[in-house]
Amino acid sequence: MRQLRLREIRAFYHGHAASRPLDWNSTPGLSLSPKGVKILAASLRAAVPPQAPRGLRCSAAAHNPDSSLVPRPPEPPRRPVKALAVHEELFRPALDGTRDKANFVRAVQNFAEYNVHKRGHVDFIYLALRKMREYGVERDLSVYNLLLDVFPKEVFRPRNIFHSIFLHYPRQQECGIAVLEQMENHGVMPNNETEFLLVQIFGRKSYPMLKLVRMKLWFTRFKNINPFPVPRDLPQDPVDLASLALRHMEPDLSARVTTYQMPLPKDSPDTMDPTETHIVGIQSPEQQSALARHDPARPIFVEGPFSLWLRDKCVYYHILRADLLPPEEREVEEIPEEWNLYYPMQLDLAYGRSSWDDYKFDIDEGKNRDRSNSEHCMGRGAASMKARNSPLRGSRPISPLSLPPSNICGTSLCWLLGMTRTGPVPPLRSLVEQTCYILGVPGRRYTTQSLVGVRRISSGTLKNQEASPR
Amino acid sequence: MASSAARGRRAVIEAPGRQQQRQERLSGQHERLWAFLVLGGGALLPRPSGLHREPAPAAHQSAEPSFRQGPLPGQDPEVDSRKIDQEGRIPDETLEKLKSLGLFGTQVPEEYGGLGLSNTMYARLGEVIGLDASIAVTLAAHQAIGLKGIILAGSKEQKARYLPRLASGEHVAAFCLTEPASGSDAASIRTRATLSADKRHYILNGAKVWITNGGLANVFTVFAKTEVVDSDGSVKDKITAFIVERDFGGVTNGKPEDKMGIRGSNTCEVHFENTRVPVENVLGEVGGGFKVAMNILNSGRFSMGSTVAGMLKKLIEMTAEYACTRRQFGRSLSEFGLIQEKFALMAQKAYVMESMAYLTAAMLDAPGFPDCSIEAAMVKVFSSEGAWTCVSEALQVLGGAGYVRDYPHERLLRDSRILLIFEGTNEILRMYIALTGLQHAGRILTARVNELKRGNVTTIMETVGQRLRDSLGRTVDLGLTGKLGVVHPSLADGAHKLEENVYYFGRSVETLLLRFGKTIVEEQLVLKRVANVLINLYGMAAVLSRASRSIRLGLRDHDHEVLLASIFCSEAYHQNLFTLSQLDKHSPENLDELLKKVSQQILEKRAYICTHPLDRTS
Repeated sequence: MRQLRLREIRAFYHGHAASRPLDWNSTPGLSLSPKGVKILAASLRAAVPPQAPRGLRCSAAAHNPDSSLVPRPPEPPRRPVKALAVHEELFRPALDGTRDKANFVRAVQNFAEYNVHKRGHVDFIYLALRKMREYGVERDLSVYNLLLDVFPKEVFRPRNIFHSIFLHYPRQQECGIAVLEQMENHGVMPNNETEFLLVQIFGRKSYPMLKLVRMKLWFTRFKNINPFPVPRDLPQDPVDLASLALRHMEPDLSARVTTYQMPLPKDSPDTMDPTETHIVGIQSPEQQSALARHDPARPIFVEGPFSLWLRDKCVYYHILRADLLPPEEREVEEIPEEWNLYYPMQLDLAYGRSSWDDYKFDIDEGKNRDRSNSEHCMGRGAASMKARNSPLRGSRPISPLSLPPSNICGTSLCWLLGMTRTGPVPPLRSLVEQTCYILGVPGRRYTTQSLVGVRRISSGTLKNQEASPR
Repeated sequence: MASSAARGRRAVIEAPGRQQQRQERLSGQHERLWAFLVLGGGALLPRPSGLHREPAPAAHQSAEPSFRQGPLPGQDPEVDSRKIDQEGRIPDETLEKLKSLGLFGTQVPEEYGGLGLSNTMYARLGEVIGLDASIAVTLAAHQAIGLKGIILAGSKEQKARYLPRLASGEHVAAFCLTEPASGSDAASIRTRATLSADKRHYILNGAKVWITNGGLANVFTVFAKTEVVDSDGSVKDKITAFIVERDFGGVTNGKPEDKMGIRGSNTCEVHFENTRVPVENVLGEVGGGFKVAMNILNSGRFSMGSTVAGMLKKLIEMTAEYACTRRQFGRSLSEFGLIQEKFALMAQKAYVMESMAYLTAAMLDAPGFPDCSIEAAMVKVFSSEGAWTCVSEALQVLGGAGYVRDYPHERLLRDSRILLIFEGTNEILRMYIALTGLQHAGRILTARVNELKRGNVTTIMETVGQRLRDSLGRTVDLGLTGKLGVVHPSLADGAHKLEENVYYFGRSVETLLLRFGKTIVEEQLVLKRVANVLINLYGMAAVLSRASRSIRLGLRDHDHEVLLASIFCSEAYHQNLFTLSQLDKHSPENLDELLKKVSQQILEKRAYICTHPLDRTS
């Protein structure tokens, strides 16, 4: 309160009050008469050590002719305003056309240098925020701090309770919030310097500070909330991307990723299609042994394509699966008599586990088996589906005899046909893909459970699709 | 008055009968132990004199002089354990002296030129041999497993052919079972023996690893897969044991392994390449190798108790010497409570394992062929773990001095680590102890469990009533103490504890079988606890029996023994109570689910999961 008055008084003394209206927009009801001011000044001068005049300290809002005592509704942030192009020249590309952090920092420094009074700094900050992505500094905390540093200090701090209650310097506060908002969108966590700057600029009881406190609270809690983190920068190489996706789906660390087919070279004349086709698969030792045990007389299925989103990129995959054996054909694993030299591997007792210690689910594997509850997955992978008439599309039962033995019987049955597609969401028509889409919100991943769900729906749908060629 | 006198007379008359009965029950078959433990009835506990039967004192006396002249560690400066450890081999002259004493054939029958010692005598000898771990292991590999197969399963001709030279030490034996891919998993043995065309030889091919004496031995007991035609005509791969001489050709061995402890013993790989083994050299039946291996392994374990006890006794001497001479703050170390505690621990462990070992040896020496494999396994587990803790505590008494090579403690520590691993790791032996016992208990309880599961009202009511009485606090009296009891009154307290533990253990086992049935094989954490309780119970029985005997015979310092026995009984009792409470399904002491979850998460990621304490999110 006293500070504020002092400031007003000083401004008055320096003659600004005489030449243009003071910005009282946040302190309505404070009547100002020269006499009162003088008295106040007299009473305060002794108490406060004199400070060197700091030049013009009115806000940008003060220059607006329409400024009044009534707070204006805050301008919507980041709306491009033609007039903002004023500072555009600061962001001229450098001579060699590079746009990097150094250039950006220079532009901000130039603004501070050429514009000692920081005239129009709010507009400049909005402009800079928009430019950050071009310069590739949108995830750089120091740059955000530099931008906040453009704000003049101490000017916008509320000086009394009324300032705090009502939005003080709304346009500046909005601008500060916009900076924080952009930080939030890019996952940049503010540090102590940010907080210090905001305290200096807006004071503790301001909206940007509130935003900062909330960010500090929730960012820490949400930062590691995803148990299956996807790297921020996804690999550009589609094969690498496919392996990453496969690794995400198969938690077994013993599983091996195999590249069955590399994408064709770019300049190859065969590539009519800009999307490259490649096949990458993953298989765990258990899946391998399951396949080795598989009776060749029973069909196996290649199902897909299912989609998997990794941040903003979509990968398609197929799975190779077989039906569970009907209960009567399942071989009971026999414990060989002479197995363990040291202790008995089984007890010769007539009774088993009692029901109150049996935690297994009671699954009815009755005769009416439908595929959805009787399938087990033997492998899965990412698939590239641009080849429209790929024989592996859809859920077509493939008798092992109809595929070359090398594909089925070898250790490397290829499961997963992989093609990654980036960019916009592909047209989603089938129920499968809709389901995948719902599950695969960008930036999330499927859990194995969710895949099972998808597959159940898909196997029926895909059959229908087969009937109606796309 | 008259009637009471008659009662007293009758009791006196009956007494020998009861004792007779007890002695019969003492035949050491684990069925007895389990019948006793599980059903809470019967009397397993040996008579006071059950510990030392007739052969025992004789063994003690006959063994004693032979130690005096022997080239044995601690008695003869010739045996320099430190040098053996540093050079990684036992000097030839030491081996020669050991041979000349007949120590390579202690358990070989006298008609084949061995000493023909009983198990008790063998255990006594082990105490002295155990003073140098490398020599003990070399001898054990030679006779406890290497040539044991020939004694147990060999034919007359095989015995006559091999035993004399093995007993004299002219030939050294080795036991070849472990393979790179096969530890305790017999099914994955890769070594193969195929019958030659003339059906007179087996051609042996394969590699065996970690064979003690592999470089010294001339006679190997080798286990290999052979094709056996089953009774139903199908051809199966089965394990067969062979006696293989080095002279058969094709036997090579790798260079000795560089080990952490027992560095003087020779451990290496042994390769068999087209070794021609005559058909006569099949040990036991063709296809019967599994049984042979199991019998050899089961019979060799009990002696570890006395061997370790011998080592511990020496260790206590050396450490006490240091503790009484080293002065800090104007007092000798022996005056500090924390040091004193360590000596009590060492003495107690040594006492218990000695008692267990000799009780087991006595049971093995009993007429007939008692199966004491459970007891032997319990002795092995208890003594190996006791050795590790005690040596570590002794080293702690010495502080920094124990860590350097001037004192033997660091070598003993390294040597004793192997005890937890070889002859079946302690984990595996715990499974054996628990499962073999549960198998027996399960059979006895079958009818009862079935009735309970079927919902027989009478049985259920009985059980509920029993549990109710138990929960209201019952005093268990199995007749160990009292007028005709086997335990001396000064140990009555310990005996009551044992009785109570036994009774409630029986109840717990019943509950466990009811809960898990035969799937209990998969509940390893439960089995571990069952085994732990059993080991403690056996230890309690052994010390009570031994201390009672000492009191009654008026042995020197028996009051010290009573102290040790009481301490152990008390400790074991509380441990057992805790373990039994952990066996309850929803007890707060039972953390199995949490532990499993933690380890699953770690093993899925194959790494330590927690973030660094200095990590931040901001």
